[in-house]
This record gives sequence, C-alpha cells and structure tokens, in this order.
Amino acid sequence: MAMEAQQHQHTAPTGFIRKYIFSLDHKVIGKQYYFLAIASVFLGMVLSWLVRIHLVWPNVHVWGLGALSPAGAPGGVISPEYYLSLLTIHGTLMVFFVLTTAPQAGFGNYALPIQIGAEDMAFPTLNMLSFWVTFLALCALVSTLFVEDGPPISGWTAYPPLSAVGSLAGPGQGMGQNLWAVSIALFCIGSLLGALNFITTTVDLRCKGMTLMRMPLTCWAWLITAILSLLSFAVLFAACVLLILDRNAGTSFFLPSGLLVNGQLQNHSGGSPLLWQHLFWFFGHPEVYIAIVPGFGVISHVLSVFSRKPVLGYKVIVTCLLAIGFLSFTVWGHHMFLSGMSPYSGFLFSIPTLIITIPATIVSLLWLGTVYGGKLRFTTCMMFALGFVSVFVTGGLGGMFLAQPSLDIFLHGTYFVVGHFHMVMGVAAIFGMFAGTYFWFPKMFGRMMNERLGKIHFWITFIGVYCIFMPMHFIGLEGMPRRYSSFVNDLMQPLMPVHKFMTIAALITGAAQFIFLFNLFWSMYKGPKAPENPWESTTLEWTVPSPPPFDNFGGKHPVVYHDAYEYGDVHNGKDYVMQTDPAGQPAKS
Amino acid sequence: MEHAETAGNKIVFSVWFGLLGLTVLEVILAYRQLPLETMFSVLMVLSVIKAALIIAYFMHLRYEQPSLFVTLIPALVFILIMMTAIFADSSRLAHMRSLVQ
Amino acid sequence: MSSSSDGPLTAATAHGGHDIPSWGGGSLPYAVPSKKLGMWLFIVSDAITFSAVIFAYGYLRLAAAAWPRPFGTPSIANATVMTFVLLSSSVAMVLAVRASSLGKVSGAVGWLVATALGGVVFDILHIREWLGLIGEGVRPFHNPWGTPMFGAAFFTMTGLHMLHVTIGVVYLLVIAVGFGRRKFSAADVEVSGLYWHFVDLVWMFIFPLVYLLSAKTA
Repeated sequence: MAMEAQQHQHTAPTGFIRKYIFSLDHKVIGKQYYFLAIASVFLGMVLSWLVRIHLVWPNVHVWGLGALSPAGAPGGVISPEYYLSLLTIHGTLMVFFVLTTAPQAGFGNYALPIQIGAEDMAFPTLNMLSFWVTFLALCALVSTLFVEDGPPISGWTAYPPLSAVGSLAGPGQGMGQNLWAVSIALFCIGSLLGALNFITTTVDLRCKGMTLMRMPLTCWAWLITAILSLLSFAVLFAACVLLILDRNAGTSFFLPSGLLVNGQLQNHSGGSPLLWQHLFWFFGHPEVYIAIVPGFGVISHVLSVFSRKPVLGYKVIVTCLLAIGFLSFTVWGHHMFLSGMSPYSGFLFSIPTLIITIPATIVSLLWLGTVYGGKLRFTTCMMFALGFVSVFVTGGLGGMFLAQPSLDIFLHGTYFVVGHFHMVMGVAAIFGMFAGTYFWFPKMFGRMMNERLGKIHFWITFIGVYCIFMPMHFIGLEGMPRRYSSFVNDLMQPLMPVHKFMTIAALITGAAQFIFLFNLFWSMYKGPKAPENPWESTTLEWTVPSPPPFDNFGGKHPVVYHDAYEYGDVHNGKDYVMQTDPAGQPAKS
Repeated sequence: MEHAETAGNKIVFSVWFGLLGLTVLEVILAYRQLPLETMFSVLMVLSVIKAALIIAYFMHLRYEQPSLFVTLIPALVFILIMMTAIFADSSRLAHMRSLVQ
Repeated sequence: MSSSSDGPLTAATAHGGHDIPSWGGGSLPYAVPSKKLGMWLFIVSDAITFSAVIFAYGYLRLAAAAWPRPFGTPSIANATVMTFVLLSSSVAMVLAVRASSLGKVSGAVGWLVATALGGVVFDILHIREWLGLIGEGVRPFHNPWGTPMFGAAFFTMTGLHMLHVTIGVVYLLVIAVGFGRRKFSAADVEVSGLYWHFVDLVWMFIFPLVYLLSAKTA
C-alpha cells in the first residue's frame, strides 16, 4: 500500500516557503487559519466600531476613511450607504472568516490529528489548498473596500433583488457585490475540501486504541461540524453560482418580473427572491452550528480539565451534538418567518426550532454538572469556558422567543435579533476561541501566555459583551429597527442614550482585545517556556513536546488505553490518567 | 472478505443493458400524452432506479462495507428530502401569479 | 503493489506501512482507503450542489405559468445518444478499474482512454446541441418560446454538468498517463472511476428533467 505510506512519510521541509507558507504540515496550516481569523476579527471589529460610531455620532469625522472611500465617506463622514457597506463586510468577515475558520479549521487542523494520534491530516496537499483558497476568498472580500464604489450594501445575507440587479441598485452593487459572490464561492470550495479532509482523518487515521468513544469531545465536535460543512456549503456554493449568473449572464433565478430599480424597469422575469433565501438559509442555519459546535467541544474539554472531573455524560453530549447537527438542517425557515414564506411552512419550521433547544439545554446542564463539585482551577482558559456557558445560555434564551412566528414577526426586524445572534453565535463562539487559544497556546508556540493580562482581558470582555448586547434585546422589544443607519430625527430618539452606552461599551471592549493581541504576540516570544503538559490534561497532544515535532509523535506510534477524561482519582501523586498510560487504572464512572 | 469481491462481466453488462433499457423506456414515455406531474413522477422513479444501479454496481457500493452505505446515502437522502420544503413556496408563488393574471 | 491495493485494509497499511500487530481499538468502520472515502464525501457534497441547482429549476418551473417544450425528435435523439455514450463510457471505466486491480497496465490505460473518449464525444454532441439552440435564439435571458428562465435553467444545468464531464476527461487522462508510468496505483484508478460514474449518474437526472420533460409532443 505504497499510496498510503507516501502520504505520511513526508519528511520535514527545510526551506522557508515550504515550511511556513505552502506548508503541508497540519500544525502550520492550523496556525495559518488562526492568524487569518485573527486578522479578520480585528478588521471586522474596527468596522463594527465605525458602524456603532455612525449610529450615535453620525457627523463625526473618521480619520483616514475619507481617503479610503471618497464617495462613501466624504471627508471621513460615513454616508448611510457606506454604513451598510461596512455592515456587510463586518458580517461577512465575522461569520465566514472568523467563526467558520478559527474554531474548526484553525484549532481543528492543529489539534485534531494530534488528539487522535495521527501524524497529519489524511490529505495534506488538499489541506494546504483549502487554506490558500480561503485566503484568496479573504483577499477578494477585503478588496471590495478598495474598489471604486466600495463594498456591497446588501448585508452578509445578500438578499436579492438588491444583490442581484447590479450597480443600478446602489453603491457597491456592481464590482463590490461581484467580488463578494466570488469570495463566498471560493470560501465554499475551501470549506468543502477542509470538511472532507476532517471526516476522512477522523474516520481513518485514529491510532491504536482510539475508539470513537474514546475521542476527546473536541474531536467529536470537529467531526460533526465537518459533516455539517460538507452538506451545507454545497448548497451555498450552488446559490452563489446562480447569483453570479443572475448578475453577469442575465439570468433571473432570483429576480421577479416587473422590478423597478431606481426608477428603471428591469428586464428580468420569472425568478423568485425567496428562492435565494431558501438556498441561503439552508446553508445559513447549519452554519450557525458550524460556528458554535467546535466551541461546544472545546468548552466540554476545558471544563473537565480545569474541574479535575470527568465530563458528565460523555455519551449524552455526543448524542446531543449529533442531534443538534441533524436538527440544524430542519429549521432554516425560522430565518424567513417575515419573508412572505408560506405560513404553513412557518409553523412547521417553528417546531424543530423549539425542539433543538432540548439537546442544547441538556449540553448546558451537563457542563454545569461537570463543574459542580469539581476542584476548580481558575485559569484564564477556564474563565472563558465558564463565560461561554453564561453567554451561550443568555443568548440562547432569546432564541426561544424568536422561534415562535407570532413573536418573531414583531422582533425579527429589530435589535432583538442582533442582540440574540451576537450573543449566542458571535460572542459564545469567540469565547470558545479564546478558551481554545489560552488552552492550546503553550502547545502551539511552546510558551505560556500571561495569566494576569489574560484575566484582565477576560473580565473586561465578559462585562463588556453583556453591556453591548443585553441592551440590544431591550431596545429591540421597544421596536428599534435594525440595519437603519440613523435614528437622529426619529421617534426612536429617546433610546439614543442606550445606543450611546452600547457604543461606548463596544469601544472599550474592543480596545480590551488589544490586550489579548499584545499578550498573544508578547508571550509568543517572551513568555515562559511551556512544559509538556502544563494543564495536567490527559489527551494525546499533551504527551508530546511543546511545540510538537514535525510528525507529531517523533516516529513513535501512540497507543491509547483510556477514555479522554479520567480525572479525580489520585494515584502516584497524580489526579489524572493519561490516555496513553498503560498502567493507570480506569477511573470510576 | 466481502470487500474484495467485484461484479463480474455478466453483472456489469446486465446492468448496462438494464440502464439502456430504462433510458429507452424513459424516451418512449416522454412521447406519451401524460399529465406533466405523472410523467415527472414516473421519470424520477426510473431515474432513481438508474442511479441506484450505478451506485450499487458501477460505483461498487454494493460490495463495500454496509457502514459506508449507511453513512453516506441516508445523509444525502435526508438533505434532499429537507430541500423539498422549498416547493411549498413554489406552488404558492404559482397560485399567486395565477391570481394576478 | 497494485494487486494488493484492492484488498482489505489492515491496521498496518492504515498507518503507512508501519508494523502494528493488530488494530486494538478504533476499528476502521468503512474498511476503505482514505482517498476512496474522500472521493465519496466529495461526491456527496457535489451531489448536493447539483441537487440545489436542479431544485432551483424545479422551483421556478413549478411557479411558472408555462414552460417551453421545444425539443424536437432530433434533440431528443441526440440526447439519447449522449446518454448511451456516457453509460458505455461508464462500462469502460468499470473495465479499466478491473484491469488496473489485476495489474494489467496497458489494458487499464486503454480502457481509461476509451472512457475519456466517451466523455469527449459526449461533450462534442452536447456542444452541437448548445450551438443549435443558440442559433435558434436561445439565451440565458431570452428565447423564442417565452418564459425567459427556460434558457437560464437549461444552460446552467447542462453547463455545470458539461464542466464536470470536461474536468473528468482531464482527470482520467492524467490518471491514465500516471498509471501507465506506475506513478499512480490501482486505487487511484478506482477513485477516478467513482468520480466518472457520479458524472454519469447526474446525467441520469439531467436528461429526463431537462430534455424529456421539455420534449415537443405532437
């Protein structure tokens, strides 16, 4: 079987380009994805600042913005259209290039092969390709900021007819929207390649003794996420192809007849904007779980490590994750209650949406049960894990309101939805990433992060996100519509102080992220050297040096004897049993 | 080992003839004056049979471990069944268009 | 090497030939090599992409008041011949996979080239059909028979499929050359076969949905 052998017996490259740029090593690719996400998240965050600033101080001059977009922000003052452009790029960056890349492709690439005892991913070349395709997609998206009429104004969901009729529809709807569509199509390809690589790796490359039920929950989460990606990005890819055709080949898949855009009658006929919404959200809802399920995995893992207790209900968590994955394909219509969709299907989509809260609730309770009675170690990583549970539950509760069509019809167009999805999808997933960063940093870079800076970062972020996103729920209930660029001369004027509070909170919380950025890069070079197993964790990545050698296990082949979470029983002075420890006794369940 | 088993010439050519026969049947049906819905249903049933023959014999799935079939095909079928939910809006659109005209 | 590639995958081979006496834990549930599983997964996702496009066509056709049925007997005959060519090329592919697993290099290369040739003939016949329709005035946004979406749906679905056939032809030729030079194994031939059969399978749906449901009846 020379074919199989060739894949895994590649030797460490020596040249800079093969080692760090076009690397086949899953660890380097994982870091590349991670830094891609870091770059995107900070750009996205700055854009969200601009959005927030424009909402409360619409006449403020933003330094440099006038030079970037003379038409969109003349003299640095953001125009209403440019506000929508910024919103579009903020959403697209965050959803695709942060929430989809870092938790899955970043940490997954880095840790999955080591955790299952493999030397690399199943298809290293494909892995490299999927990163570079994703990188190209990011370039295409960011370049919209520099093209003549700026980024599209149609939001990250790119609803037609606005997104499909071309430059007549507004600034950014020409070149900008084309680049957006190409970017997302490329991103789909990258994600699909990544997903099939993840599944194959998990299925085929586990080491001896690593049964599916001995895998760390992180690996389960990555596997399930990969399955979701494989099945859902294929639909978005098709939708993007049709959108590109609508825009450039004159087809009318998403465009109805009799469409009047800026006073001009369009020549299209026979299409349906609802079709795009269906295809988009058929991808879009699984996408929510693509963003959050890796976080579930990391949090389950981290809570167990720092509570010094086995995960409560390992099999139940696995079952719940599978159930969530399954159900996520049955609920996409709840994004469309307000779209003019058939009211009967609205009713049908509401039921699974409410059902999906059951596995999510079970998982949340099991996290609390894991922590309960444990010997907690309050590292920064653990605090972010606990913070994850908090924001996930808070954000998730809003989902119970939105799942019901009668309530959603009122709430859907308001800030309630903005608060809900930022909390449950954005912030929770980001907290998962922070937990993952503080947890795996010693392994990835061979040095420890600064705990004091980490704690400061945690507290400002944790309090900050509540200050930003909780009030959004309340002003949403008051009827404050989302996506509007201005409320200055509006009956919503009395709520402006709340907006100002949220904007100031966003500025402070955002600024605190630079503490994290500083901690990250400072610790990378100046942090204390990390031992092999700083967290006294049991899984395979902590049996190898920090950072691990090129082939992960230095030519040896690990053999697994234990479950992933055997904490608590003290023997030989240790309260944990490594998965690879042949002598240790299995923990009592 | 079941895995090493493959379809013999006899099976391969019978499948080929079967597929060609079904194709001819489809073409003949296309010229029958059937209502569109009936014709669509019949053609789709025949196409699914053809697809199943290709998957089972040409793509060899019949001779793989059953677990491969069990993981791949139901996932695909599930996705396709879920996607049919969009047709509720399609027929509604047809209805609304008929009201306008 | 080539003859053992089709055999059962043991623990040792899964680990790149390292000597591990037995597979103690995580069993290989599919007992298929990674490349084959990877291709199967790609096929599943590609099938969903095709389905989404086909569903979009169904959605719009169902909602449309009328849909043209312009394909006369020559077009249907042409498409039937294309189906025949594609199905036959699939049989050639089966024979190529078998020859490769038996280590018959020249036989395998011959059948692979025959398969690719089938793809080329299919493409030529299809492009002829396209040119005929374009000559009649069919465009993605307009056609002589009303309901402009007809052209859009036709060109998108058949174009996407033609793209797959063309990629498949290139893929098969690369595999043929590589297998002839012993750079690729019998397993690689089998994996390329999976892709080719899938392209064939998609046509089994495109043909009735695009051509037969739009056949001109007397």
